[in-house]
Amino acid sequence: MENEKIINEGDQAEIGKNSAITDPVMDEHINEADRTLSKKSNVRKTLLIIFRSLLIIICSILIIISLILFILYAVPVLKEISPRRKTEIVNNQELKKDALYKKQIGLVTKDIQRFSLKFNGYTSGQSYIVINTIENKFALYTNKKLIREGFCSSGSYTLLQTSGNKKWIFKTPKGKYWIRGKTTNPVWKRPDWSFVEEGSPIPSANDQSRYEYGVLGDYALALGDGYMIHGTIYKRFLGMPVTHGCVRLNDEDLKVIYNTLNIGSKVYIF
Amino acid sequence: METEKSSKKHPGKIIFLVLISIVTVFIIYYSIMSMIGPVRKMEDIEKEFGVKSKDKNGVEQQILKDSSYLRLLKEKAYLQSRIVMAESDSIYLTLNLADSTANIEICGVVVHKSKMKSVKTSKILSTGNENSILSMLATPFTISSAIATIKKEPVMIKMAPKDTSEYKPDIMPDTSITEPVNYILEMKGGIRIYVYQEENSKFNDRMNHFIFDIKDRIRDTWSALKNVAVFKVPEYHPFIKIRLPRTDAKIIYRAIPKNGQIAVFSQ
Repeated sequence: MENEKIINEGDQAEIGKNSAITDPVMDEHINEADRTLSKKSNVRKTLLIIFRSLLIIICSILIIISLILFILYAVPVLKEISPRRKTEIVNNQELKKDALYKKQIGLVTKDIQRFSLKFNGYTSGQSYIVINTIENKFALYTNKKLIREGFCSSGSYTLLQTSGNKKWIFKTPKGKYWIRGKTTNPVWKRPDWSFVEEGSPIPSANDQSRYEYGVLGDYALALGDGYMIHGTIYKRFLGMPVTHGCVRLNDEDLKVIYNTLNIGSKVYIF
Repeated sequence: METEKSSKKHPGKIIFLVLISIVTVFIIYYSIMSMIGPVRKMEDIEKEFGVKSKDKNGVEQQILKDSSYLRLLKEKAYLQSRIVMAESDSIYLTLNLADSTANIEICGVVVHKSKMKSVKTSKILSTGNENSILSMLATPFTISSAIATIKKEPVMIKMAPKDTSEYKPDIMPDTSITEPVNYILEMKGGIRIYVYQEENSKFNDRMNHFIFDIKDRIRDTWSALKNVAVFKVPEYHPFIKIRLPRTDAKIIYRAIPKNGQIAVFSQ
């Protein structure tokens, strides 16, 4: 057997030699096929590597995204379901008959009545006006009832700045004010900013050019610090934030407000 | 060849497994620390505002748990808060979560009323029948900081003309601009009030809300991660989330002073 095998192997080698010698074209074909095969397997390997890398990258990205989502969305939910002690609320009818309970309830009820009375006292039964500078609206109340509402104009929030770094901000002050004075046919004494805004030179304090007639309407109600509720010649701007801090109204509303509010009446601006 | 390949693959696998384990452990640790936050907060509130029930006898302790008594206490606490603020001569906000109203008041006078479209509170506050929460609500909250999508004061800077030739009259302001209104008011005690605009039909509104919310979550998570990294329990912020019509939300934000006060009537 051993000898036979050796002989056979020898034969095959012989045949191979013979064929190599006899058919070089065939050999070339085989080599080419080998090369294509190895090329193909190389491409397949590379594709497999790319695919695997892509899969790893996608998985990693998905893991990272789910981790971020867990931290951002699930943890806050977990916080809300975390265990904590809770006072057990009871509605014991027996307790309600207890003298101490009745006394305690009585005390709290009395406190509530006292506080309610005090709180209701803050809203004046007299006339007052509420000015909404965000929507540029007003509401007039008498005896705690709304009697008139409409549009107004309030501060424009413009910051006027000069090259010399002088600044004025045109905003309506917010809070509780009261009517400090009432005037008919008011005359506007133009402040410095009015000239600066136009690029005109600032005149002396009582210069004639500072006085303007008819621009504030028929009435003016002073709020202090130069702020007023007055009329306007720019009625198309009502409902818009365009003033230098004063509150402008149309003629009809102004007349009603002038006649309703007295010196000392409250003005609430927000 | 095989053994060479496997030895080459192993370090990557090991690193990957180690990384996964570290991340998992950290996530579990972070979650547990975050869950301890609310418990700590409640303990702090109880320490500061709680009633020492040990000093009370049996009936007194029962009274403190009675629903009618607690309802009255809530009303008293809310009124007390409003009176304190009314005397402060400032503009303040009142949130009544029971009847879903958000009002602006000046010196005790309601100057603006608005209706909340939805209310969501953190568990600490919604189990607000607890005495400590009631005591906490009896004092008004003070705003310490705010984050908003709109400006508090929409100031426009205008340079003065050098002479009359440079003067240009003011242009009519564009009141049609409706910027999305979302904001967070943070109180001194750590409570946060989230105000979102109700209008959510436009893509811009929804997108703005999403970005605003995600930014808040990232801020919160970042500060929690910083605490957790040094083995500290992250601070928990009890919250009240409300939805209001855009105009009302804007009015409230612009009307309330920077360090304004807020009274809350819990549900």
